[in-house]
Amino acid sequence: MSHDPPTYDDLSVRRFITATVLWGIVGMLVGVVLALQLAWWPANLGLPWTSFGRLRPLHTNAVIFAFTGNALFAGIYYSMQRLLKVRMWSDRLSSFHFWGWQAIIVSAAVTLPLGMTQSKEYAELIWPVDLAIAVVWVAFAINFFGTIAIRKVRHLYVAIWFYMSMVITIAVLHIVNNLAMPATLTRSYPVFSGMTDALVQWWYGHNAVGFLLTTPILGLMYYFLPRAAERPVYSYRLSIIHFWGLVFLYIWAGPHHLLYSALPDWAQTLGMVFSIMLLAPSWGGMLNGLLTLRGAWDRLRTDPVLKFFVVGITFYGMSTFEGPMMSIRTVNALSHYTDWTIAHVHQGALGWVGMTMFGMLYWLAPRVWNRPLHSVSAATTHFWLATVGIVLYIVSMWVAGVTQGLMWRAITPDGLLQYPNFLDTLTALKPFYWIRVVGGTMYLAGMVLLAWNLWRTAHPSARSLTPTATVEAA
Amino acid sequence: MNPVKDAAATAALGWAPGLMTAAFLLFFVGWTLWAWWPSNRANMEAAARLPLDDGDAP
Repeated sequence: MSHDPPTYDDLSVRRFITATVLWGIVGMLVGVVLALQLAWWPANLGLPWTSFGRLRPLHTNAVIFAFTGNALFAGIYYSMQRLLKVRMWSDRLSSFHFWGWQAIIVSAAVTLPLGMTQSKEYAELIWPVDLAIAVVWVAFAINFFGTIAIRKVRHLYVAIWFYMSMVITIAVLHIVNNLAMPATLTRSYPVFSGMTDALVQWWYGHNAVGFLLTTPILGLMYYFLPRAAERPVYSYRLSIIHFWGLVFLYIWAGPHHLLYSALPDWAQTLGMVFSIMLLAPSWGGMLNGLLTLRGAWDRLRTDPVLKFFVVGITFYGMSTFEGPMMSIRTVNALSHYTDWTIAHVHQGALGWVGMTMFGMLYWLAPRVWNRPLHSVSAATTHFWLATVGIVLYIVSMWVAGVTQGLMWRAITPDGLLQYPNFLDTLTALKPFYWIRVVGGTMYLAGMVLLAWNLWRTAHPSARSLTPTATVEAA
Repeated sequence: MNPVKDAAATAALGWAPGLMTAAFLLFFVGWTLWAWWPSNRANMEAAARLPLDDGDAP
């Protein structure tokens, strides 16, 4: 059979890759500014638009929905067409999906610094933007299921199931959590109140992590890792159990965000128990990923794509161990509201999501631009910058979080708080905040290197196009 | 009327949670048996190779 890539829609893939890199730099740059603000308050600049409270949701939204979202779409558009042996059902819907998603991101970048917010974590965007998200997501869903309907391969590879879980669940989560009564164009009131609102919010919040930052990326892992390693997944059977185990358990784990709150005790216990059970499918998937590399470990020395994948999957294993542990009530009593949570979140975001997406981008770019990767050594440098940056970030936040938790709980022999002044804790944490600035800056520098490398891959100079100067694709 | 008892009764939901748990457990066991059923082995191995079969034009 002949290979005829132009019949696939790779234009959408190239567009989503470009947007991933652009928004990745923006989101991570804002993250570094926030880290700086926590270590050195004058970085708030004394302006409301650049204050921590307004930039923080911009950072989270940019990294989750703009960087990760666009990267997911790039990988999904590329892989699903090849797995189903058919072009996307509608080019118009693909285009609408891309431009609509970018318009939503731009509107977030404008409204959040202006202070327009619903005050729900990861769901801060105001109701008109929420409506736009629903419309664009439904358009994507129609295109997604339309492509499945016209597929030329009977079996739906496990990656498609992971993508499907994202398409369905994110739609449900987004719509239910954002049910609100508009009061003005920029203000609305949620239909839920009190504890119910908190429970719905964390059912959404935790499953946004589960079904946007975990399941679709696992789907991408199940496609791109075998492609990069040039061997099938270690156990396809295990991947099926991984999928069903994960999606069944994940959806119940949200209440672990509300331990020691007014939520009924049984609901807190339910969230904790399901969180602990999540360890089983998560580690099954991690081992399935790592064992896929059996017989190809030697390639880790030279192939930056595999380096990124291996570290990404390892971070998946670490964060899916830490998460269930933190959901245990007694551990949560120490970790909650401290920087330990920030360490955990970034272990997943920078380690699992970021590294896996970088690996995918370095593998994907040469193929969709049909040119070799401009610089393998720059990709390797990016790998080390990102890895060392993550370690600095996470270790400093672990130490800061445990310090913070222990100081808050410290009691004098008389039964009084040993550190009643909040500033005592802040002063103790300052050195760790500076280490985080360094780690975050290194990670951002790696992202800039990626942008340069992919730009030169897509737009090579005349000199680099000569056969002797080209570099082999990763 | 005792609001605490009412809340507890709502939370308990009678036999429904037990039925749901059993149904989900059976569903999970069913998928596992399907995945590991000896006659499905060849299909599973063929499915695992789908990402590597990138040569077909649509």
